[in-house]
Amino acid sequence: MKSRPLEQLAEACGREFKNLAKARQETEKKVEQRRTRIDKLNRCEDTSVVLMGSWGRSEVTSGSDDDYMILVNGAWRPEHEIDPSIDDVAQLLNQKPGREGAFGEIAFSDYLEKRIGLQEDDNNNLTRRMLLLLESRPILGDENHRVAQEKILDCYLRDARKPNSPPRLLLNDVVRYWRTICVDFAGKQRKRRGEGWGIRNAKLRTSRKLLFASGLLPILECPSDSHEGMRSFLLDRLRMPSTDRLARSFLDAGVPDVGGRTLGAYDEFIGRLDEASFRAALESVPREDGDRSDEFLEARRLGRAIQSGLLGLLFETDLLRSLVREFAIF
Amino acid sequence: MTATLTAERRSLLTHHPIGASTGYMYAIRGDWRALIAEAIELSPFAAELSVLSESEMEGLACFLADRPALPFRYLSIHGPSKGRTMSEPYLVEALIELAPHAESVVMHPDTMSDPEQYRRLGHKLVIENMDAGKLDGCTVEQLRTWFADVPLAGFCFDIAHAWSIDPSMDLARELLDEFGSRLRHVHVSSLSGDLHHVPLTEEHEELFMPLLERCLDVPWILEAPPRSPQTSA
Repeated sequence: MKSRPLEQLAEACGREFKNLAKARQETEKKVEQRRTRIDKLNRCEDTSVVLMGSWGRSEVTSGSDDDYMILVNGAWRPEHEIDPSIDDVAQLLNQKPGREGAFGEIAFSDYLEKRIGLQEDDNNNLTRRMLLLLESRPILGDENHRVAQEKILDCYLRDARKPNSPPRLLLNDVVRYWRTICVDFAGKQRKRRGEGWGIRNAKLRTSRKLLFASGLLPILECPSDSHEGMRSFLLDRLRMPSTDRLARSFLDAGVPDVGGRTLGAYDEFIGRLDEASFRAALESVPREDGDRSDEFLEARRLGRAIQSGLLGLLFETDLLRSLVREFAIF
Repeated sequence: MTATLTAERRSLLTHHPIGASTGYMYAIRGDWRALIAEAIELSPFAAELSVLSESEMEGLACFLADRPALPFRYLSIHGPSKGRTMSEPYLVEALIELAPHAESVVMHPDTMSDPEQYRRLGHKLVIENMDAGKLDGCTVEQLRTWFADVPLAGFCFDIAHAWSIDPSMDLARELLDEFGSRLRHVHVSSLSGDLHHVPLTEEHEELFMPLLERCLDVPWILEAPPRSPQTSA
């Protein structure tokens, strides 16, 4: 059987990613558990239950939340006409979803695909659309999820017909999403008076940054000589966990050593995050104590290694340097 | 997309980040403000503050204690390899005092004896491979022993040191194969006949580049001034 890109990278750089491998196994096991539970619920034909975040990245650790949304593949309709309901799903999943409202809600694919840009494309809509593309995992209604993903991608690619140019609308929205996360980090700091600063900062430096890069890279790398080629390339990449997408990019750019150090640092972070005491320390450290927290300093060290690796890939390799200069800034 | 673009040949000074070691700035040794200013001339992004002699440590500690505003995104401190008089516990204690100011503290393994002391530096400790004139820290086997004793330590790859032992560059390749996952930064220069760092020659730049391309994500620290246009002609 053909190995996955992360395994190929491990072989090429001569190091193992034990924590990521363990997290992948854990994800599969827990997805199956949740599938079994949720399969008993009534379901409308056009509805999916989708897990996001670490589930979509295949990086579930002991402290992962059940970030989920109910995806309706179509237009808005009243909540009481939708099965399963939010309450039904919430009772079967372990944790409460995040506070800002992107999760634990119903998302209508018509909104996600037709409201790209302008006022109606609010923070939640953008977040749901991006997470559906970049890190989502269905546990009920897989076919609906697949169709919704394809419809969203097709909306982005509809006008992407300029030769030798990546799909600009998708590129701009992925960059917009990353910058939105960064700005929202500051916004949450003010709103919550610093609560949860350490863990959010650590994730911004690691998981969120890697997720952004794993969306950006396939867009820059995709073939632009045929619409169908671009579409199938992007679908293929977007269906991989983000660490596979990144591993593929490091391998294709011919820099497995750099990829090994980058994903090695992330592997270390995932391993530490699986330790309850490490996670708890990050969750409680306030900004003013960051420089005195061993756990935060560790996360920052690993985050810097990840950033150096990504910058090396994007700006120091022949294949990508010119593409980044040509398309990624303006 | 990628097939339509032409690959460029990389050269040393196009790498980012590149940085200067203050170790080659003999004329202004001890004047840390002047040393920093000269390092910034090469790059404000990375630098190595070199206290090759133990007697220089106090001056650097005083300079850093004033918390000068330094622009570098990556800063390493090269610990002393000459003029050693301090006992190892005192030396390590002094390095621990300096460590919060830098990303890494580089040490020559042939000047270290008690690994337990150095373990206290944790991830900040970076061990450099040695040149042909040294008795320890030269080979994969010797370095493997050190990294087993200080498992959190990073690796500083001195490409010229590796060349001095094996000009075919097989040793350099093996060092990267074995310790690449620990790599923090690279030392770049050529070496004189008596194993002193001198500006990277064109011949060495060509020879070293395939290996340097395996180190694109880390700072390249020049241990000698960049080649002047006259010498490169």
